[in-house]
Amino acid sequence: MKRVISIAIVSLVILSLVLVGGVYSGNVTKAATKEGKITIWAWDPNFNIAIMNEASNRYKKINPKVKFEIANMAKADVEQKLNTVLASGVKTGLPEIVLIEDYNAQKYLTSYPGAFADLTKHFNYKDFAQYKVSLMTLKGKVYGVPFDSGVVGWFYRSDYFSKAGFKANDLINITWDKFIEMGKIIKQKTGKYMVGFDPYDGGLMRIMLQSAGRWYFDKNGKVDIANNPVLKEALISYKKVVDSGIAKKVSGWNQWVASFNNGEVASVVTGVWIIGSIKAEKSQSGKWAVAPVPRLNIKGSVNASNLGGSSWYVLQNSKYRDIAIDFLKQIYAKDIDFYQKILIERGAVGTYLPAQKGKAYTASDPFFGGQKIFVHFSNWMKNIPSVNYGLYTYEADSAIMAVMPDVYSGKLSVDAALKKAEEQFKNKVGQ
Amino acid sequence: MKKISYERYIDLWGWFFSLFSIIGLGLFLFYPIIYSLYLSTFSTKGVVQEFVGIGNYIRLFKDNTFILSLKNILIILIIQVPIMLILALILAVILNDKKIKFRGLFRTAIFLPAVTSLVAYTVLFKMMFSTDGLINQALLSMHLIKEPIPWLMDPFWAKVTLIFALTWRWTGYNMIFYLAGLQNISYEIYEAAEIDGANKVVQFFKITIPMLKPIIVFTSIMSTIGTLQLFDEPINLAAGVVTGSSVGPGDSLLTPSVYIYNICFKYMPNFGYAAAISYIIVIIVAILSFIQFKLAGENE
Amino acid sequence: MKKDTKIKNLIVYIFLIIMSIVSVFPFFWMIVGMTNKSVDIIKGKLTFGNALIENFNNLFSNYEVGRIIINSFKISLTIVIGSLLISSMAAYGFEFYPSKIREKIYAILLATMMIPFAALMVPLFRLMVAFNLLDSHWGVILPMLPSVFLIFFFRQSFKLYPKEIIMAARVDGASELRIFLSIVFPSMKSTYAAAAIYSFMTSWNSYLWPLIVLQSDEQKTMTLLVSTLSSGYNPDFGVIMTTVVLATLPMIIVFFGLQKYFVQGILGSVKQ
Repeated sequence: MKRVISIAIVSLVILSLVLVGGVYSGNVTKAATKEGKITIWAWDPNFNIAIMNEASNRYKKINPKVKFEIANMAKADVEQKLNTVLASGVKTGLPEIVLIEDYNAQKYLTSYPGAFADLTKHFNYKDFAQYKVSLMTLKGKVYGVPFDSGVVGWFYRSDYFSKAGFKANDLINITWDKFIEMGKIIKQKTGKYMVGFDPYDGGLMRIMLQSAGRWYFDKNGKVDIANNPVLKEALISYKKVVDSGIAKKVSGWNQWVASFNNGEVASVVTGVWIIGSIKAEKSQSGKWAVAPVPRLNIKGSVNASNLGGSSWYVLQNSKYRDIAIDFLKQIYAKDIDFYQKILIERGAVGTYLPAQKGKAYTASDPFFGGQKIFVHFSNWMKNIPSVNYGLYTYEADSAIMAVMPDVYSGKLSVDAALKKAEEQFKNKVGQ
Repeated sequence: MKKISYERYIDLWGWFFSLFSIIGLGLFLFYPIIYSLYLSTFSTKGVVQEFVGIGNYIRLFKDNTFILSLKNILIILIIQVPIMLILALILAVILNDKKIKFRGLFRTAIFLPAVTSLVAYTVLFKMMFSTDGLINQALLSMHLIKEPIPWLMDPFWAKVTLIFALTWRWTGYNMIFYLAGLQNISYEIYEAAEIDGANKVVQFFKITIPMLKPIIVFTSIMSTIGTLQLFDEPINLAAGVVTGSSVGPGDSLLTPSVYIYNICFKYMPNFGYAAAISYIIVIIVAILSFIQFKLAGENE
Repeated sequence: MKKDTKIKNLIVYIFLIIMSIVSVFPFFWMIVGMTNKSVDIIKGKLTFGNALIENFNNLFSNYEVGRIIINSFKISLTIVIGSLLISSMAAYGFEFYPSKIREKIYAILLATMMIPFAALMVPLFRLMVAFNLLDSHWGVILPMLPSVFLIFFFRQSFKLYPKEIIMAARVDGASELRIFLSIVFPSMKSTYAAAAIYSFMTSWNSYLWPLIVLQSDEQKTMTLLVSTLSSGYNPDFGVIMTTVVLATLPMIIVFFGLQKYFVQGILGSVKQ
């Protein structure tokens, strides 16, 4: 009997090995025919998906034989699928193009060598914003097509602000301390909160850090948490925002978006990509305006920063890789009119520099009271200090957010909290 | 050809019946398990592997985040599981009483939560327990509280919310098991006890509990396994603005399963370390189940 | 004395009514939500609105809901039938054909119930690629067919089954397969019903695994649709509620359809 079992097990193992082995000889079709189906994984129907739809329609005019399948998933779902498929080491089941958040770029490129197509020769990267190109460069090779910028703006309700006695000029080039003071006045005069704020989200922290050209890591990728003066100032600001009562506390994206769509808050400080969601509430047209992001009360901090932003990557082993590259080249590195359209419709500020000479970038926007907002965003974008996001941004982010309850309650001093966070981070990544 | 003996014949039928499941589980369960045991000896960055032997297991004990996730589920295990099981037991005893009217209706109503999908009900709970949500509105209008409770904004209240959600979803489910078990206990025993002057409470502790012991053990082990694998509820209750930095305020909703998920998909993908954590959890569950069996088995 | 029991009864009924309301309320809210606009749902409106048709239109014009529901049914029903068959057979084999090796295998199987699924995903995915089952419903179905829990569940029930009947049937010359199919199988209806409910709920709600295996929109399931809808930056809660109701309805129907047998079925397996 034992023999039967062992034979069964052995043949099972052999069978599976043979089958697993068979996969590695997967076939990649050369795209000489220019016929094929490009699959794209992305998130956010109001932004990335809508923009990709526009891009694919434009490409179909150039190359009518190409079909598109644009999969709309949650961001977490895209990342989960991509990791599983890539980590399994097989060469099927991947899309042609995938959207990757800039914070994650180095992580994916390092973790899955050979998985992404080397695009260095295909694109003229001098045409793209340099801080963006360096994010997707590994060992001298460039792997992505830079897409949207996460340049930060301070979006505010001009009606609320003028009711509280503020003029547009009062909002220019201020510090976070001033921001909080203004928030108190807004609260007093209008009854509205200054911002919707998730006390356990690191987004604002990253805005503050980058405005001073610092990050959770130094230039060599070494952790820089415990003794980082900028981070300390950022933590103090977080606590001030909460203590001052100017923030409507929210939990989760939906509540946050609802807070400004409902008109409960007077302003939003975040990446330019939020414009689509702000404009979704059509009844608020004309009531919004934009000012530069506040800076930290520390030397070297400027009134410009970045939050998020993402780029397109082509999978090396996908079936219609060459068509996909051609598609990105024809639209994202050539079609200036395309950039004007997505800017107007979706508020997508591209990092393709020639596009910024286009008409839309200098047009005034009635939703924002006729302000020429994209002239501002283009200017701020040039001032964003570049930083190295390294491999572990989210680990560091969560290590810091984990100590925040003790910071808010006063149980830990900011210095002690940062020390604890660095310790936790090191244990977490096994350093 | 030699004629096979009767025992051999019966044994072959035994293999025939169990073969399909054994092959299936071998392929879809054991192969992955063995593969991940092998993987747990590597520290990985995606497909870039580095052999570390038992390094991952040593690293675990220094990882505060992992230890915090264990603490979190331990709290749920100690508080939520007993509350839920006791509530289920009380409901089962009440609804087993033939004198109660509309028994079927009550049973169905209380069981109903068990048919909802985990993602869907958590999304509902997240909406109900938001700061401006229904629960706070109701409590405010009844003047039970003066200020909205920061349900998902505070480490303590976030756990309370999770406990509410879990109890809502699983109490009826466990009640059905107890109801089934109660049908095994004949009415005569209770009648005899009543004649002897034992009241309902005495009956409950002297008859019901001892007779239901096997089922209580069964449900508590299933709940323990379920709690240790808790995933859908915390991750859906917690998602934060833009990127969701911590799992609930101060990682108060972080469970080992969520941590494993984050290590695989959100952080630098370290499948080796994730596999090591899985094995530690399996060992913990095995120990806990063993203890529960021992505790229950002393009279049997 | 009599007044005392009356008060006691009243307390019991109040308790039951409160528990029932708490249990049913989210369902009520779901159904109300289905008839309201997104903005009203966020505000916590608890009365019926008139957006039902609009919500249905938005849902059905943007997503192929019919196909998605059929996909979900196809996957779930195949899993229910398949896993009930092979799990009950395995339990039958383990219980009625004693063997030391199989007992050991059974013990190992029970121990594996505790392993978190996330840890097994990568190797499982490799297998699916090897079998060329990516983006196919079989890729979702096959790994979910063998179920340790169901084997355990059936075996507990079989323990109560009188062995003499099988012996008698053997003496009468019935084949082993026939004994299982025409004698044991028909007499375990309630066990199968309970197992069917369990199996249907697990497969209908499964999320992580279908997400990984299924690639194209044509193959999507209901649970994946719910997750896609609620993850957008500007989610329409009216549409989400409608989808949630549609996703929950089949489970309620299955439960009520088989409820009669459900308690008996569980009874059989937990007696031991």
